[in-house]
Amino acid sequence: MILRKVDVRHGLVLCALLLAVVAAAFKITNRPPLALFQMPDIDKQSSKILPGMQSQFVSHTQNIHTHAASLVELSDGRIRAFWFAGSREGASDVEIRSAVLDPVSNRWGAEQSIVNRVDTQRSLLRYVKKIGNPVAHRATNGKLWLFYVTVSMGGWAGSSITAITSTDEGVSWSAAKRLITSPFINISTLVKGTPFNYSDGSIGLPVYHEFIGKFGELLRISETGAIIDKIRLSSGKYGLQPVMLITSSQQAIVLMRHSGVSPKRVIITTTGDVGKHWSPTALTTLANPDAAISGVVLPDGRILIALNDTEQGREVMSLVISSDAGITWKNAYQLEDQRGSLMDPAGYGKIVAELAMVTDERVTDPADYGKSARRTKCEDQKCGFEFSYPYLIQTRNGDLHLVYTWNRSFIKHLRFTPSWLKSQLERSADAQLY
Amino acid sequence: MLNFTDLTGLTSVAVAISAACLLLPGIAGFTRIQRTTLLAVVFVLALIPLGGIPLAAYVRGVSGDLSITMLVLLCCALLMPSLGCNTEDIKARYVLLTLIALVALMLYPLALGFTSFDPYRLGYGDTWFIAALLLIALSAWAFKYYLIASCIAMATIAWAGGWYESDNLWDYLLDPWLAIYALFSITLRVARIFSNK
Repeated sequence: MILRKVDVRHGLVLCALLLAVVAAAFKITNRPPLALFQMPDIDKQSSKILPGMQSQFVSHTQNIHTHAASLVELSDGRIRAFWFAGSREGASDVEIRSAVLDPVSNRWGAEQSIVNRVDTQRSLLRYVKKIGNPVAHRATNGKLWLFYVTVSMGGWAGSSITAITSTDEGVSWSAAKRLITSPFINISTLVKGTPFNYSDGSIGLPVYHEFIGKFGELLRISETGAIIDKIRLSSGKYGLQPVMLITSSQQAIVLMRHSGVSPKRVIITTTGDVGKHWSPTALTTLANPDAAISGVVLPDGRILIALNDTEQGREVMSLVISSDAGITWKNAYQLEDQRGSLMDPAGYGKIVAELAMVTDERVTDPADYGKSARRTKCEDQKCGFEFSYPYLIQTRNGDLHLVYTWNRSFIKHLRFTPSWLKSQLERSADAQLY
Repeated sequence: MLNFTDLTGLTSVAVAISAACLLLPGIAGFTRIQRTTLLAVVFVLALIPLGGIPLAAYVRGVSGDLSITMLVLLCCALLMPSLGCNTEDIKARYVLLTLIALVALMLYPLALGFTSFDPYRLGYGDTWFIAALLLIALSAWAFKYYLIASCIAMATIAWAGGWYESDNLWDYLLDPWLAIYALFSITLRVARIFSNK
């Protein structure tokens, strides 16, 4: 009797094993093969002349913590921005907001809430404590993706990535989907860098890990949201927020925020085989105060990035350019510089109000902009400026759009053309070479 | 609308919450019917929405989805008093827990960045990794370690069928809670062996 029971079990387990072999073989053979990087389709002959660099605010809500903007071009050429806002960073009332730029009138529409913590929690059927860092992307099939981080316990190092999609240019959004990217309770994968497409329609998403180790990774995600592959871009404890700069269908450069000790320089790694292998990381000549960077590869192959190019603080924001794949850099334009402007709340509010008027001619209540910035950037009667988390894109018509956090209170938008950039570079021909 | 993977994920957590009731003091004195009723009630309560999401969803936010191996062991724990589920598998159970402890000691530190090698990547469908895993399962079957062979087979089938949200086979094979349990059990067993010498 016992012998028969063992025999039956022997047979049943063997059947289960054979089924597992067949199922695994089916799954593996259906895994998409490696695909090439898809180069962005930019109009190289763009000759549209804009009156210099145009600046304005994307967000206008006062007295609120506002941070981490990203941009995506819609099918009709409009630009949609996303950012997070709430009573403070990490608060339970933080929501992902969005607004759309009409490129003809050059005006941003009203900001609207896209998703919040409670929506995400209900959709994921998991407790969610806080949300942040929205990053938008248009897939090859036209679908809009919005990746953002969610935290169930602990700080930002406990983040996981959640995705929602839209088939109507961001008017309505699907239920949230969790991306499982880590074996350790799926914690500590965050997103900041601009996603890109592969030639087979799958999506490349630069992400980073910051629990114990701090390193960059690259996710390849199918059109349906399944993770096809994940590869390390760096190791150790000092590389965050990778930015992928595709220079050809097989070559790319990744720049990363430096989170280690001095010398604080932007980290670089490269691939020549569609990301199968990455070079050992090295330090560039660009200073980096442990702050996010963003960049694009221009149609002529030069790399343009926006960053805080100092070792300390985020009071400076610059555009820098490289013609030799990131070996040397040249300052193209100084966007912000408030170094040494640590001051009392009254003086700070006054300067912020003046800067707000310079930034956006439609600002009618500059003093309120000052009050908003004081709320987020003043502590113990001392206030400091912050220009951070840049996000730079180039649209199909060649225009460049940059957004960044402005004193943790508003999102600032800058729009310029390659011809304006060229004129700035000619003007600064003898500019500092890094 | 409830996704299939949400249903499976929440159910796995509800099973764990039910199994946790077996640790309650005085549960050994319950009759089989009382015990079954208690477990069934706790299982259902864990899935009833409270404040928008079920209790199991609050736990899931922290625990993640539980591995298939964990579910097999939990189901054994739940069914053992009724069916004598694992009386002949104690040795296989310890071999399985030893394997889990060893793999966990390799997987988690490397996945958290201790070296540049990331073994977690293999779980997204590396052919050699999965072939090696199935060979281990076949060897376990040949040596009559059915629990090990069954856990690997069921985890692989669940992964290929998209049972959970995860696309990574590792998440079906083990989870951190199972790893902690395995490390604790093996340490305790080794300590007992040495104390008896």
